[in-house]
Amino acid sequence: MVDATFLALSVLTIGSAIAALEMRSLIYGSIALMGALGGVAGFFLLLDSPFVAMFQIAVYVGSIAVLILFTVMLVRRELIFTKVEDPRRRYAGIGLMLVLMVGLGSLVIDSGLKSVTADEPPIDFRLIGEDFLTYYWPALVLMALILAGSVTGALVLARREDVTDEQRAD
Amino acid sequence: MIELTSTPMIIVAILGTIGVLIPVISVARKEHGSSSFYGAIALGALFASIGYVIYQIAANNIAPAAIFTEDVLADDTFGSLFAIAMLIVAIFTTVGSFNYMRKKSHPAVYFSLILLSTIGMVLIAYSTDLVMLFVAWELMSIPTYVLAGFMKKDPSSNEAALKYFLFGALSSAIIIYGISIAYGLTGSTNIGDVIQTFATIDSEMLPLALLAIAMFVAGFGFKMGLVPFHMWLPDTYEGAPPTISALLAAGTKKAGFAAALRVIVMGSIALSLDWTFALGVIAVMTMTVGNIAAIMQKNLARVLAYSSIGHAGYILIGLAIAPYTAIGIQGSLFHILNHAVMKGAAFIAVAGIVTTLASSHLDKIKGLGRSMPITSLGLVISLLALAGVPPLNGFWSKLILFGAALDAGAVAPWTPWLAIAGVLNSALSLAYYGWIIRKMYFEGETEKRVREPASVVAVMIFSIIFIVGIGVYPDPIIQFVETAVPSLAVTP
Repeated sequence: MVDATFLALSVLTIGSAIAALEMRSLIYGSIALMGALGGVAGFFLLLDSPFVAMFQIAVYVGSIAVLILFTVMLVRRELIFTKVEDPRRRYAGIGLMLVLMVGLGSLVIDSGLKSVTADEPPIDFRLIGEDFLTYYWPALVLMALILAGSVTGALVLARREDVTDEQRAD
Repeated sequence: MIELTSTPMIIVAILGTIGVLIPVISVARKEHGSSSFYGAIALGALFASIGYVIYQIAANNIAPAAIFTEDVLADDTFGSLFAIAMLIVAIFTTVGSFNYMRKKSHPAVYFSLILLSTIGMVLIAYSTDLVMLFVAWELMSIPTYVLAGFMKKDPSSNEAALKYFLFGALSSAIIIYGISIAYGLTGSTNIGDVIQTFATIDSEMLPLALLAIAMFVAGFGFKMGLVPFHMWLPDTYEGAPPTISALLAAGTKKAGFAAALRVIVMGSIALSLDWTFALGVIAVMTMTVGNIAAIMQKNLARVLAYSSIGHAGYILIGLAIAPYTAIGIQGSLFHILNHAVMKGAAFIAVAGIVTTLASSHLDKIKGLGRSMPITSLGLVISLLALAGVPPLNGFWSKLILFGAALDAGAVAPWTPWLAIAGVLNSALSLAYYGWIIRKMYFEGETEKRVREPASVVAVMIFSIIFIVGIGVYPDPIIQFVETAVPSLAVTP
């Protein structure tokens, strides 16, 4: 049962990820991205991590992907870069990806990972919260600074330079 | 829990508070044009931080070498050495930006992002936990993605930011994959615990541990500019504002080496892996590709970008021979400190040239020795130091690196070839540095002296004093570097 679910989730996640990259329409691409992120949430459920799965759905599928969708719908969608397609590079990229996947896959399969049995109870999510406020507290401070930097940086990059402050006030 | 008065936490407090406050002050003042005001605030915070690091070292309040604690950060000499190097680079970038940012938009955010990125760089060097290291890595990277594309109307700045962001995101993904494998194998994110567990790992799990280390090499390798992970670097350094190229070439690159020393070298030794030869091959490839490509460039920023790749190769020699001689890491640390000043000064000189002449093309710098004498002198001294000409600081760090490679030949017969490759590459680099010097001093006759940006002149004077001073009397720095070398013994 788990194998069938795992396979279905794999098809959903990888298929949606490829669709998100390949779709010509940014809106369909964004919807496909939601499918890929939702598939990852399914993997977390299979791994007995409902807390992380819930966050994956709430933050990524529910907020970030929807935000991307709204942004795509609200701004101009014409291409700002000239698209130069080179089929040789495309096939070289696909080839490199396959070699990498086969290499990594065989390495994981050859290792002793198959014999590992996880019979420990799932981690209490309260412990994650406790860890963040005790052991990882400097990392939590840094995350706040990352958000501050990202927000101010994004505002500067997104701000239109051809509109004056007076026009904004009007 | 780590003490609030420890060096890394005080740096976070000073730079974090000022970094967040500067944009708030800008909004409150409703002023957009005064770059010097925000630059002065940022500079004050950076001087306070470097002052505290030096005070902690002088007062003997920090642990010697590189220690692994039960916490996410360690207040040790290894971290402090990198903190000094990165704070010097951040000071160079801030001072150099005073003139560069004049009459440009959003100076407050610009200086704020430099401070936030500096916190990330410094904390990478102090990190003893993989999650902490990754969060610091992101804090270093995200502000620099914005800074690389800060000149929004300049297409080359946009290209620089896009390439840097895409490769940076890929490197972050690879690092987090490595961290997840390491955590899966050991059940801990503490670097000390991971290394201890790696030392006794089951042989069936060894391929996965190997994969984790390979992921770290690739992930950190992107930022360090190691071949074959260097493709993004020349376009980014050329297109980004030159002051930010200084931060990237002299700062973020060194953070990659700090992370590599903490994780890869220690991890490889714990796994009893003979990575030395592979690292040696990458070192030779990196220095050769960097120096040969630099010869073919027509733009000063691009020459410096490729030279930066070459120097990553020299620094890697010390990591490659780490298990055979402790002098190797000493040489790497010394060269990291020197390279931060040499390369930082060279890129700030480029910023001064761009501000004055609006171009850094090699044909435009003819007669620069007459038109901008102080900037030219600073650039020449930096270039000669980068080439390793005595009696400048670069000579001593290269001498220690190459000498260590020869010394390690008694244990590993192939290591002297690293020294030979290093000397040949240094000679090659002297050719293109000499070509630049010739253009500045022996070509062009009609150039008149122009007003040089005062902030660039200040950086040039400091770097000349540092480069010549350390070159003439290197003993104190060498002794300091000796105390920062991590112990490579792993007790299972």
